[in-house]
Amino acid sequence: MNIGRIDSLKVEEFDAIIVGGGLSGLRVAIELADTMNVAIISKVYPLRSHSGAAQGGINASLGNTEAGKKDSPKSHAYDTVYGSDYLADQDAVMFLAEEAPKIVIELESMGAPFSRLDSGLIAQRAFGGAGFPRTCYAGDRTGHALLHTVYEQCIRKGVKFFDEFFLVDLIKVGNNIAGLVSLDIASGELVVFRSESVVLATGGFGRIYKRSTNAIINTGDGLGAAYRAGIPMQDCEFVQFHPTTLYGTNILMTEGARGEGGFLFNKNNERFMSKVAPKAMELAPRDIVARAIDTEILEGRGFENSYVHLDLTHLGSEKIMERLPGIREISMYFAGVDPIEKPIPVQPGQHYSMGGIASKYKGDFGETPLEGLYSIGETSCISVHGANRLGGNSLLETIVFGRYVGRAILKKNKQKKLTASDVKKAESDVFKSIENLFSSWNENTGKKPVEIRTAMKNTMDVNVGVYREASRLKQAVKDLQQVQKDFEIMHIETQERKFNFGLIRALELRSMVDIAEVTAVAALWRKESRGAHFRTDYPTRDDKQFMVHSLVTREKDELVIETKPVTLGLFEVKERAY
Amino acid sequence: MKEKTFVIFRQKNPDAKPSYERFKVPLTPGMTVLEALFYIQDHFDHELAFRYSCRGAICGSCGLTINKFPQLACKTQVHPSEIKKHPRVPNLEFGDLKDWDQEKEILIEPLPNMSIIKDLVVDMETFWKFYREVQPFFDREITDEAPESTQTFEDARRIEKLVYCILCGMCWTCPVSGKRKDYIGPSNLAKAFRFIDDTRVSEKHRKEIYEKAMQENGVPACEKIFACNAVCPKGVMPGTAIDKIRKLEKK
Repeated sequence: MNIGRIDSLKVEEFDAIIVGGGLSGLRVAIELADTMNVAIISKVYPLRSHSGAAQGGINASLGNTEAGKKDSPKSHAYDTVYGSDYLADQDAVMFLAEEAPKIVIELESMGAPFSRLDSGLIAQRAFGGAGFPRTCYAGDRTGHALLHTVYEQCIRKGVKFFDEFFLVDLIKVGNNIAGLVSLDIASGELVVFRSESVVLATGGFGRIYKRSTNAIINTGDGLGAAYRAGIPMQDCEFVQFHPTTLYGTNILMTEGARGEGGFLFNKNNERFMSKVAPKAMELAPRDIVARAIDTEILEGRGFENSYVHLDLTHLGSEKIMERLPGIREISMYFAGVDPIEKPIPVQPGQHYSMGGIASKYKGDFGETPLEGLYSIGETSCISVHGANRLGGNSLLETIVFGRYVGRAILKKNKQKKLTASDVKKAESDVFKSIENLFSSWNENTGKKPVEIRTAMKNTMDVNVGVYREASRLKQAVKDLQQVQKDFEIMHIETQERKFNFGLIRALELRSMVDIAEVTAVAALWRKESRGAHFRTDYPTRDDKQFMVHSLVTREKDELVIETKPVTLGLFEVKERAY
Repeated sequence: MKEKTFVIFRQKNPDAKPSYERFKVPLTPGMTVLEALFYIQDHFDHELAFRYSCRGAICGSCGLTINKFPQLACKTQVHPSEIKKHPRVPNLEFGDLKDWDQEKEILIEPLPNMSIIKDLVVDMETFWKFYREVQPFFDREITDEAPESTQTFEDARRIEKLVYCILCGMCWTCPVSGKRKDYIGPSNLAKAFRFIDDTRVSEKHRKEIYEKAMQENGVPACEKIFACNAVCPKGVMPGTAIDKIRKLEKK
């Protein structure tokens, strides 16, 4: 450890620090930039964020189409709560649905290049689990279009960016956030960002799985840092498996492909969705379609025992080129299949984390139990998605709560309450602990990160997948405890720090092993089937025992599970069928 | 197991002398160049530096020169390895490379015409500086009051290709970017046209962007080589957009 370096420790101070340059983080910055000294730190250039990979669209009950005339925020909220299998907090969902039309119009005013109807209004398409066509889109690259638009507005407002800075650990004083320590990837130096308002917007943690649609960077850095700071992880057992990911690479094939009329076929040429969702068919929610596909494959009706067909050929080349050009491009590049001529081979793959940092713990939307620390987007669990997220609601969540939390921070406009000496001591402690960690990694003689990462992903894929049961989940917990032990004595050289992506990926793994363990432990605990969490040993929903959010924290060497009631009151709890 | 040899450009820091290093990577079905680079980082040298993010050709992080042709590493297959050529793409030289066996080895080098920071990581700051310089944004008042402003289906469709630009920087293969460090560059001029051609942009701001693009180091510097169109992984056709800005002048 290099104690000498602490005196020269670089400190940046801001009114508010946002971690993550995706849609959530950028939207907060727009709200704060006019009146506050705000900075975004991001481990990649913001336009490389995973928000840009979202394809299908963003939900809002604008009612722009003939078929959507009778749509309303209430209807949107109902579909979302029903789709969530009644685990979503209904106050948060109603707020999301009411804000949705305003948010989409605001994005348009920022220049978002939405696809249009003949009327010139924003176009809307059908999506899974939705009663009306309410998904606004920009071709099939909606996330990319919105990410660029919101980033452009940050450029307009002169937001300060620290690109290629990696969040290592949070700094707290008592129950207040005091800032964070980051690793400047280019210089290799540790840099302190000092602030009493910090927003974590680091996206999901899908990369704890091997078969995932997520970007390689989706490693739960914000969650890991919050977990290490003692903040509960909420509902992490609810992992969304997207039904249609490209066989081989697991790149996302948007739900919009089915929204535009695509069919799913097994190898016997059957539209097998008729067996599980005779009304909604291919447009049943994602958890149901993913299970149906896995059943076909497990029971021998898949192709090569691995995938089914997503058939768009009947849509015709014009519609595919106009509405789904990105899907066509990806199929051609990555699977050698032109969907105009041939069906696309697809299988379910990890796609989205419904769970995350407990972010309406006691206080307001986005607030964590640590004073001054907020979390939004996929990083957080507010919870608007409950046990299963509807397509088109994740882009929406980022912007709605990004704006909301931005306004909440402005409203608080709080006076600094921490003393300089306390803050400096806390900074120095975190700095030393990180240097200690790097020293021990350098001196350890255990496994390389790749071996530990592979072991983690394998057990998550095999034992914590679409279908779950006690014996497999117990195996996963056991495997992950071993992974934790291996991680403690992991070896990686940490002397050379400049652009050392091996070191960055080791730091990412540090968060992932924790979150993987939380996910497996919570999945073993929840002895019921609800939304995306399906237990073959407990195949029905158990509202009596389990209509609660799970909250996992680590206390010494034990993971502790507590629960929190679901906020109900707007919609009556019913059985869910499509 | 079948293997493939990768010849990789290495440079410890901006001032260091570049060299080439060989790694043998076991092949897996459908393996991409990006996956091969991760294999090398995981098993042989964790300090090998390259950028990455989405692995699905949408984020623009992993543009590299592969077998002497700029490509996204994530969508380039290792097998069969292809030697791409295009008459508009110039010869790209990075270091002293003598013994590359084109038949058997895959050559990986950084993006052309950018300063090298470490290995395959280039300095993108100039790229982003020129991006910001064209003022690529709407200057309308941000409002959430219905209704939204309208745009015809065709007008929205016309700018679609330009909107899809992922700002990967591969179009800096342009020989003008090579000889002029102050050239705004193809993608950023295409970005300017994305706004100039958007019917919703105000006349005032359209003019401002147009003037930025028409600076001496912008559209007039383009020599109509169209290397940009040849290497663009998204069909944005920056050169064609530049041409369209040029024609606006004549109107």
